[in-house]
Amino acid sequence: MIRKTSDVTVVGSGFSGLVAAHILAKRGLRVLLVDENVRMGGQLLRSLPRSGGSSGTGGLRRYGFCLIDLVKKESIEILNRTKVLDVDEQKVLLLEREEKEILSVESDVVLLATGARERFMPFKGWTLPGVISTGAAQILMKGSGVLPARKMLVSGAGPFLLAVAAEYLRNHGKLLSVLDRGGVADKLLLLAHGLWDLPKVVEGALHLAVIFMARVPLHHRTTVVEARGCGELDTVVAAKVSKDGGILEGTERTYRTGCLAVGWGFTPNIELPQLAGCALEWDGSMGGWVVKVGEDLETSVHGVFAAGEMTGIAGALKSIHEGEIAAYGILKKLGREMDSNRLGRLKRKRSRDLRFGLHFNRLSRLPDRAFLSIPDDVIICRCEDVTMGHIRKAVNEGYDTPATIKRALRIGMGNCQGRTCAPLLYDILSALTERASKDIPLLSARTPVKPVAIRSFLE
Amino acid sequence: MTQDLRIPSVPRGPKIKVLVNGREVVAYQGETVLAALIAAGRRTLRKSHRRGEGRGPLCGMGVCYECLVSINGRANQRACMTEVEDLMEIGVDDSKDQ
Amino acid sequence: MSDLLPRQADVIVIGGGVIGASVAYHLSRKNLDVLVLEKSDFASGTSSACDGMVFLQSKKPGVHLELAMASRKRFDDLAEELDSDIELRSNGGMITIRSEAELQAVKCLAEEQKRIGLDVSLLDGRQAMDLEPCLSGEILAAAFCPLDAQVNPIYLTLAFLKAAKRHGARLFSRTPVGAIHVKGGRIHAVSTPRGVVESKTVVNAAGVYAPQVGKMVGLDVPITPRRGQVLVTEPLPSILTRCLLSAKYLAAKYDPGLVGGENPGISIEQTRNGNFLLGSTREFVGFDKRTTPEAMKKILAETTLIIPRLRDAHLIRTFAGLRPYTPDGLPILGRVPSVEGFIMAAGHEGDGMALSPITGQLMAELIADGKPSISLEPLGLERFSLPEPS
Repeated sequence: MIRKTSDVTVVGSGFSGLVAAHILAKRGLRVLLVDENVRMGGQLLRSLPRSGGSSGTGGLRRYGFCLIDLVKKESIEILNRTKVLDVDEQKVLLLEREEKEILSVESDVVLLATGARERFMPFKGWTLPGVISTGAAQILMKGSGVLPARKMLVSGAGPFLLAVAAEYLRNHGKLLSVLDRGGVADKLLLLAHGLWDLPKVVEGALHLAVIFMARVPLHHRTTVVEARGCGELDTVVAAKVSKDGGILEGTERTYRTGCLAVGWGFTPNIELPQLAGCALEWDGSMGGWVVKVGEDLETSVHGVFAAGEMTGIAGALKSIHEGEIAAYGILKKLGREMDSNRLGRLKRKRSRDLRFGLHFNRLSRLPDRAFLSIPDDVIICRCEDVTMGHIRKAVNEGYDTPATIKRALRIGMGNCQGRTCAPLLYDILSALTERASKDIPLLSARTPVKPVAIRSFLE
Repeated sequence: MTQDLRIPSVPRGPKIKVLVNGREVVAYQGETVLAALIAAGRRTLRKSHRRGEGRGPLCGMGVCYECLVSINGRANQRACMTEVEDLMEIGVDDSKDQ
Repeated sequence: MSDLLPRQADVIVIGGGVIGASVAYHLSRKNLDVLVLEKSDFASGTSSACDGMVFLQSKKPGVHLELAMASRKRFDDLAEELDSDIELRSNGGMITIRSEAELQAVKCLAEEQKRIGLDVSLLDGRQAMDLEPCLSGEILAAAFCPLDAQVNPIYLTLAFLKAAKRHGARLFSRTPVGAIHVKGGRIHAVSTPRGVVESKTVVNAAGVYAPQVGKMVGLDVPITPRRGQVLVTEPLPSILTRCLLSAKYLAAKYDPGLVGGENPGISIEQTRNGNFLLGSTREFVGFDKRTTPEAMKKILAETTLIIPRLRDAHLIRTFAGLRPYTPDGLPILGRVPSVEGFIMAAGHEGDGMALSPITGQLMAELIADGKPSISLEPLGLERFSLPEPS
């Protein structure tokens, strides 16, 4: 097995990983930057190689693409298409590179910056081909320059819906409507709280303007109740919801479409820090389970830092600021000097970023009633076809934790290792057993943190 | 017709050819296999292993493992995490192909 | 969830894994008032960290094989009896042989097994491959037994528990036993954080934790955890119909000298769901349930030699189970003379699933009828000649 060493290993090359890697490399540290994707940039900096940074790209993206170029110029060892499989007590990472070989990396410090993934709220028929996530729509457009479909409906909750809707319209897609489960008042509240963050307000306003100018109806307090089709999506049924989350009978409307993009905010990828033994905490206003970090962004495990969406969902600026804060924290840990004035300023900026995240995430939070009203025949675990009815029955039989339900029903035992269904299962259990989310014990993390090709282990 | 799904204003890499279930399909270097399949009009990529129902991509970022296709003979590869290569052989399990 | 702990029970079963579950079920069928105390969650220990093989070929000729054969018979109707799907597949099992030395050893074993009445036949490489086309030419020969089978271990355990409950057994998870009270040489009560339960009979079905329970009544129970790592692939199309154990796997179980200690052998099973379970290791590492890169490498190297198609598969999960190992590889079953009312039902090493039906049956016969249908003499705790408690 190939063994490597580094001063700092950064896992994830989104904004926070890139910022940290760049600063640390410039200070002469040996940095190893690992990412599962083909290219660096995380979710926000996806682009076709030739187009990166051009054509209608906002300021943040331009900065990001510049940063990628700078990172490439430094003597950072960059491993793309590389997954982390395991981390032991000495912080030694086990990696799989390009589905070809296994490596181990020993470092003085590890920075986890693996970002977040989308949350889902299932409905009848959500497993039909044609139902995609808003993130998938965005990645298709930004990463490959391909529209998800000629006609599309967008639904879910949270401000990201508007971003995807606007992007789709800018690329001349036919957007039927945007259906937001939230109310108008919630959006105005976010606006009010975000007023000091002018760029974000302008960005949001621009999205709305694009949608408005295209005369695309934007419906609030509306959610998808069913996706229908013969083997593939062709019809979506939506209905109005009351303030406490119940579906209002008689308000159904039908849309003919082969593509529905859905999104309900984001939740951190906590599996790797969990495996590393890092303390997590539940914070509904920051996206669910997040990695607990100190002021310097060190986790509860010595020498393991976390930055970006992992410490709480709050967008690109927080990731950028945290990348820098973590870099300084790491420099301090390794006995190097760093600019404490700048660090002070960054921490203040971070506080503001966190406040933004609070309100952003509130827009995606769903009330218990939403989970309680999921019909029995709706699939919760897509990998193993475990339904809401199976879960209800199990809870009635006394299975009351994610682990006991997993054993009894196989939920979370599929390829995605529970990434799609676990956040949902936690919310469902919280609602069904009337316990606070923080009291629902997490499913445990084990190696391999991501599925690994058997051939990588063979000589 | 479905070639329209490629956004004209975006500069692309060189045009290449990939095979989807043996049939030639146009693709461009830099695209993901998923993007090429979507552009070729595909939505169903595989069958769920328990109920045998058609499945397509969900998350688009390598998390959900729904977009599994075979690539150059290797099964269960995530289409969204793989970039196209010239003459790549992509296998999709869609009952509509029968 | 907040059921009150009863004050009294005819029998207290300590341990909610497959053995405790089977014992509780069989006792409840004898109309005894059974209480199961599990310190964590049901089927959360070794019983949920094992493969599902029900192998007869891997049992030592003698009482071990006798128990296994009696147990195997119960499996055929067990699903119906328990009214639960246990994913039983009875397609037979193979011991794969890769060298002349292994061939000789397995031949000897097979002869002994046949003498006891086990249907084992020796296949050459070609015949093995005809039976299982996915096998590689690495296989020199194989011993095949049509009775070998596989189940879903978690479903089996939960099925026993559900059926026990239906017949009146009371089950308490998250209820550890703190102390066992002995008065005048006999059991009279058990303490838990939720209260005290009076009973004259306690069954120690605590698997790798049986020594801790034994200590509570002053007994030294020689059970040591022996870690077995298992790797799980994504669900794959049906490739393998039978379960496989390598000859080295058997040797490692009973006679590490045969293999030079290095190679623990491999086990391969494809579950009904389609996942392959690839094992294993035999490590004395205390209660450490981690999966190690070294073991992953070894297991994958060996199993892909036997089934090359696995090279294209992915590992999606791993787990490690702690087998309750005894010095002679046989479980510890039966009454303990020095502590009246204390009954052992632990130490099944890697045979818990296969021997669970017969263990439960024998314990129930012992406790309810006073006479087990198979003599437990060779299996008592006393065979380890440990000093009596003062």
